[in-house]
Parts: sequence; structure tokens; C-alpha cells
Amino acid sequence: MNPTQVQKNTKRSWTTRRDAKRARKEELSRMTTGKVIPAEHMVEALETLIKPGDRVVLEGDNQKQASFLSEALSKVNPEKVKRLHMIMSSISRPEHLDVFERNIAERIDFAFSGPQSLRVAQMIEDENITVGGIHTYIELYGRLFIDLIPNVALVAADQADSRGNLYTGANTEETPTLVEAAGFRDGIVIAQVNEITEELPRVDIPGSWVDYIVEVDKPYQLEPLFTRDPRHISEIQILMAMMAIRGVYEKHHVQSLNHGVGFNTAAIELLLPTFGEELGLKGKICKHWALNPHPTLIPAIESGWIESIHCFGGEVGMEKYIEARPDAFFTGPDGTLRSNRTLSQLAGQYAVDMFVGSTLQMDRDGNSSTVTSGRLAGFGGAPNMGHDPGGRRHATPAWSNMITSDDPLARGRKLVVQMVETFQSGNEPVFVESLNAVQVGKDAKLDTAPVMIYGSDVTHLVTEEGVAYLYKTDSLEERRAAIASIAGVTPIGLERSAKQAEQLRRDGIIAYPEDINIKRTDAKRSLLAAKNVEELVQWSDGLYEPPAKFRSW
Amino acid sequence: MSIAFLCPGQGSQQPGMFEQLPDHPYVQKTLQEAEDILQTDISLFDTKAQLQSTTTVQLALFIWSMAVYRAFKSEGYTPDMAAGHSVGAFGAAVITGALAFRDALPLVQKRGEWMEKQHPSGYGMGVVTGLSYRQMTTLLEEYERDETMYLANVNADDQFTISGEVSTLESFLTAAAAEGARKAERLNVAVPSHCVLMKEVSEKMESALQTVSFSSPTIPYAGNTKPRALLNTEKMKDDLAESISHTVRWNEVMHLYYERGARLFIELSPQAVLSDLINKQSSEIRGISVSHGYEDCCLLMERYSLK
Repeated sequence: MNPTQVQKNTKRSWTTRRDAKRARKEELSRMTTGKVIPAEHMVEALETLIKPGDRVVLEGDNQKQASFLSEALSKVNPEKVKRLHMIMSSISRPEHLDVFERNIAERIDFAFSGPQSLRVAQMIEDENITVGGIHTYIELYGRLFIDLIPNVALVAADQADSRGNLYTGANTEETPTLVEAAGFRDGIVIAQVNEITEELPRVDIPGSWVDYIVEVDKPYQLEPLFTRDPRHISEIQILMAMMAIRGVYEKHHVQSLNHGVGFNTAAIELLLPTFGEELGLKGKICKHWALNPHPTLIPAIESGWIESIHCFGGEVGMEKYIEARPDAFFTGPDGTLRSNRTLSQLAGQYAVDMFVGSTLQMDRDGNSSTVTSGRLAGFGGAPNMGHDPGGRRHATPAWSNMITSDDPLARGRKLVVQMVETFQSGNEPVFVESLNAVQVGKDAKLDTAPVMIYGSDVTHLVTEEGVAYLYKTDSLEERRAAIASIAGVTPIGLERSAKQAEQLRRDGIIAYPEDINIKRTDAKRSLLAAKNVEELVQWSDGLYEPPAKFRSW
Repeated sequence: MSIAFLCPGQGSQQPGMFEQLPDHPYVQKTLQEAEDILQTDISLFDTKAQLQSTTTVQLALFIWSMAVYRAFKSEGYTPDMAAGHSVGAFGAAVITGALAFRDALPLVQKRGEWMEKQHPSGYGMGVVTGLSYRQMTTLLEEYERDETMYLANVNADDQFTISGEVSTLESFLTAAAAEGARKAERLNVAVPSHCVLMKEVSEKMESALQTVSFSSPTIPYAGNTKPRALLNTEKMKDDLAESISHTVRWNEVMHLYYERGARLFIELSPQAVLSDLINKQSSEIRGISVSHGYEDCCLLMERYSLK
């Protein structure tokens, strides 16, 4: 049989997906002739547009939520809409799980579930939900184009015009990625918008990618997740920040980085214009960032430390400040921030020198997890940034600084820094024999224990006791000894030997504050460039407008 | 922003508590109805002397919560979910619409009587704060093997109660203090609640519940033993019976309600034990007890239902 015969004999259609989409849209034509669906008809519209077994990607990351659409989806008739396969970067809102309790959906692939971590764990235990996989953000976005291609995308935008052009502005986040995955594979894209107007500030997503828009009364949910009040930064955190700046940032010439959201890193941000300035480090470190617009970064921006910041998302209250500082941020011609979660995660994975994070538990090998017993919180983005991407080929001073051998093929590493106090609040040791993640993984029948950052990726550990240069260790035994040496009076810390610690210190594998010229008694709150939210507002010339819950004056 | 109603369990009673009830026609009505059902004068239930009895304590607290609940309801204040701690679970069952007050009251009375009779003396409860769950369960392993003492309540990540035989309790409390507990002391409770020592009472309650008809609840009920938001009457019945002889996982069910969207927790109680616990859990949650003021509770409910 020759190829032409095969072609003749099989009269297959090559437009099944497109035809299916057209049919669904025709069914809806009784409700709308254009792109605008009236809000009060949304439940019925979803019952028409979504078919049993569909893959539905619902926008919801850790900040921005398509809250109107998720509520509408949770109200559809489970006789009509069922067996859905949900894809969500974050399970955040109660109705995200109500759709499973109501038998509208049965399967989920997700990245983060912090705000619903107990309920997710319970539903897995009770077999009320089937988890496909727990991902990092980029993994999940990647799969949207491979084996989790959505039939329907439900997303949120600030504004739309009647042709469906979307303005997503500061909170563009993951919207373009989700829309692209559905829109270019004959999926249906529905956007809830806070306002329909013919005067968009700019177009973030072209109308031709969007099938329907719905104008809603209540703006989409948006959480200020990256605001840390400097009032709560302790002097131990300041000591650790000083050690990190001297013992890691300065030592390795770190110029590009990502910070987690903890108070440890907030302390570092607030020490740059004071402690960092005194050390003459301005212009030498911390110039380029993949970071949400942390308000605690304002003093460093104002004092000329920062050249560029690319953001995953926006931060409530930072809008006007960012508009007035386009040299520092990515902004559109209209002046407002443009964020992009996918691209910033990629940047944080491949293009920065260093990731600095924190954790709730670390085992003796340096594996860490933020899993609490009985709760399943997923991963989010930290593991993307908190590992050494093997595909990296470009060198920077910090990356090359990690080379410890003279092998002609030796290559550098990303710096992955964990900053932890040896005990959590409530007297729980951070350094433990076995991570809670191991048990949680077993209980939830996961294929692998939900480890956030693997010990083999961690290059530096900073505690209130000192810094461990784990990248210099050449055996697991030495790595364990280095970790134990700065693990305080935790079960792991008590395993150390004083003699071995001294040897590690002489070898430059661990450093105590005095070894890097830091006096413990210098770690004072007066070193913080801003000691409270009000002072952050002052630094910003009144442009930063903190949400009510952070206003104490 | 959802609202949850909480009904307290033993420990929240205090002498003169009926005096604290808001002056409201539905409160009077409820007290009268309770008297009619129980065929007894309840006006002395809240004296110090009468509150020595476990049965009276359980009845008094249940009636108190129900009186306030009906007052709220008559003015249109209804919750999105209900939870009750220990005997309070019966109050929660009424609030969900599954169980009628007149059916619940005799069950509560029997519950108290059976519990009292099961171990008339030599048993009690203790409270431990400031240890982690892991520390507690490690300490408890030995004792539970001896089958004389058990974990009764997990009220918060670092607050627990234990039930058992008095001398074992004392020895455990000493060990807990040595482990670094902030507080490790006996509770003024004469029965070993929420452990296997009450297995027979659970069984009696299970049969008693079979004779009572339940309606479909309109809002979730908080499982005490298995910390789930229940909407199934059979599972509710199981929980009301089982929880008498099983550990109450209060902290988990409160966290679950938070995840399900509850942000305002109104405690229908003469004290503020449960709202204090919830206020410590997260700054995003507001807990308030009716003992802080009936009007204040109404005001907050209006504010939260607008949000």
C-alpha cells in the first residue's frame, strides 16, 4: 500500500477540535451574540460550554483568583457538568474543593494548596479527590502545552473592551500562559473582568485569543501576600541577615537573585541601605532581581541599589510606587507594572545567581520541607528557584565561584541558600531526624515525599549560629557534620563534635559570626532602614499605599 | 466571609451563668421549653452546688447555647457552619437543622447520666499546654499501653486534655511538666471523657440515637472524632456517639472551618474558651463569645455578612 492509498482510504477530519468548539459556541448563541456573557447567566453558560470530562484550567495562584468564575463553577448542575479534570496552580478558595464535593470534578493537577492544605489532605485520605500530580509552577505551566492541554480556561483580568482585549496590568501573573494553552488549541477562554471599557490602558492579551468576557460586580480576589511588616523582624533575624550579606552575598559577588517571603530575607532587604552601604557593597551586589514587588525593598530601590526587578505578580498597595519608578520595574507604555509568573519563574530558575529561602524543617542531609503533619501544601515556585538547573551554560562571577575542583570540565552552580533559626516558634526544632513530609507523603499515597528543596541542591545554610558552606563539602558525612555544627541544640545539632566543628571552621566549611567580622551585639533593630510599615511609606514619598491590615497608625 | 457558631463543652460552665443570658423573649421561651421537656425546675442548674454534677453541667451548657442560638435566629442571625465541642456537638447538631431541640435535650441528659455512672470515682481529666503534638504522643505511648490514660482532646497545636485514672494522671502531668509543658494540671472534671473508658456510653448513645429522627442538615456539622464538615445524618449520629469515647480533634476541625471560609466564630457560651483558642490560631480570624456581649456579636455578624 502506498502513502496516497492510505490517505484515500481514511477520510479523517483534521478539525475535530475546532468543530467541537464551534458547536459549543453555537449552543451558547441563545445567551449572547457577541463576547459578553451577562454575569447572571454565567452558571448556565458554564453548563453549556463545559462538557463532562473536560480539562478545565481555573486561574488561581497564590495571589490572584478568578473568584467569580470559581464560584459559578461550583454552582453548576453536577448532572450536566461532571468528571472534570481541574488544573490549578493554587487551590486557594473553599469552592475550589467544593467542586469535588459536589461531584462536578474528580481529578486535579496542581502546584500549591497552602490555603487549603488540611482539606486537601483529608479529601485525598477520604478518596474524594484524585490527584494527578503535585507540581512546581513551571512544571504545571509546561504540561498545559503537552499532556494537560485544557478544553476550557477560566481566567481573570482587570478590564476588557467589547472585542475581548484584556488589560491584566500589574497582576498579569499566569493569565497569558493559561489563555495561550487553551486559546491556540481550540479551547474556550472565558475571562471575568472587573470592568468593561472601550479605553484600555494597554492590551496585555489580544481579544482574538479570548472567547467570552463577563463583567462582575466584585473585583477578583487579590491577596497582599508579599508584604512583611518590619516591626516583626527580630534581632536574631538581623544577625542572620548580616551573616548572609557578608558571608554569602559579598563573598560570592551575588548580583542577581530571588528572595523568599520570610522575615529573614525582609531583614536582608532592609539592611542593604545601612549595613550593606557601610561595607561599600552598593553597585557590587543585589542589582538584578526576580521578585514580587516586596514593600521591604523600597529603601534599597530609593537608595540606588537596584537596577531591575522582574515580577511574578503584583503586590497590593505598590501600584503607584511602581508607576513612579519605571527604571526599576517592568512597566507598559501606560506606566503600570507588567508581571508574568511563567517568565519570572523561568528567570528565577535559569538567570539568577542565587535563591534564598527558608523552611520549617531540615533533616541531617539538608533536605527541607514546609509540610506540617496532616496538611498537604504543595510546592508553588520555590523548588524552581531552589535548585541548580543543569541546563545552565552562561557564567557569572557568583556561579563560577561555586567551582571547587580544577577539572577542566568543572562548571559553576546556582547558589541555593537556606536561612533558618534552629527552632521555630512554639519550641519546635527545625533540624529533625525525619521530615514530616515523609509521613504526609505516605498518608497521601504520593509517589515521592513532598520535599521542597533537596539537600544536594543547597549550597549554603545560615542559622543564628553561623554559615555552612555546604558546596565545599566533598562527602555526605562532611555535609552532615557541617549542618550539625550550626544546628544549635536541636536533636541534629546535639550530634556534633566540638573537635570536628573546629576542623570545619579551619577548612572554611563553616563560619561563625566572628569569622566573618560580625559582632553579635551589633545586630540591632536600629540597623533596619525601615522599622515599620509607616517608614516604608515615608521612604516611598507616600507612593506606597499599604492595605488596611498593615496600617497601624 | 462565612460565620460559624460554636457550642462549648464541659469546663465552660460557671455559677450564675443563666443570669448572663441576654434578656430576650426567645431565651425565656427556650428555658421554659427545657423545663417542660425535662419536667424539672432548671433555675437552680447554675448554682455552684448543682454544677458539681456532670449531668447538670452538660444540660446547663446545652440549654444556654440553645437559648442564645434561638435568640439570634429569631433576629435573622444564622451561621454558615456549626461546631460543638464534646457535649456542645449536640447543640451544633440542632443548629444545623438536623436534630430537634426537644429530641436533643433528653439525649444530653442521658449522656451526662451514663458518663457519671460509668466511673463514679477515681477518674478524671487533666490539661497540658506548651508541648507539641509530637511530644505529647511520645509521652503518652507508654501510658496508653497500660490502658489507664488517654489523649482526650487536641484543642490547639499546643493544648491537650487527657483522661484516665487519677494516680496515672498525676504521674503523667509530672512527666509533662518535666518535658517543658507551660501548664500541666488536673481539671475540675470527675469523668474520663473522650477515651475508650467511655466505650459503653458510646454504645448506649448509638442505640438511643437510632430512636431519634434526624433531618438533612442545611449547614455543615463539625465531626469531633473524625474532623470533617459533615452533611450526612448517619455520619453525624456516629460522631455524636463515638466522640464520647474517642479523642476530640478540635484544632483540626477549626482549621478546616477556616479553610472552608469561616472568618467569624461566634461562641454560644458563658465563657470564652473556644473563641480564645480560635483567636490564637490566626490573625485573620475573629472569635467572640456571647459572654462578651450579645449585641457585639450581632454587630459583628452584620459586618461580616456584608463583607
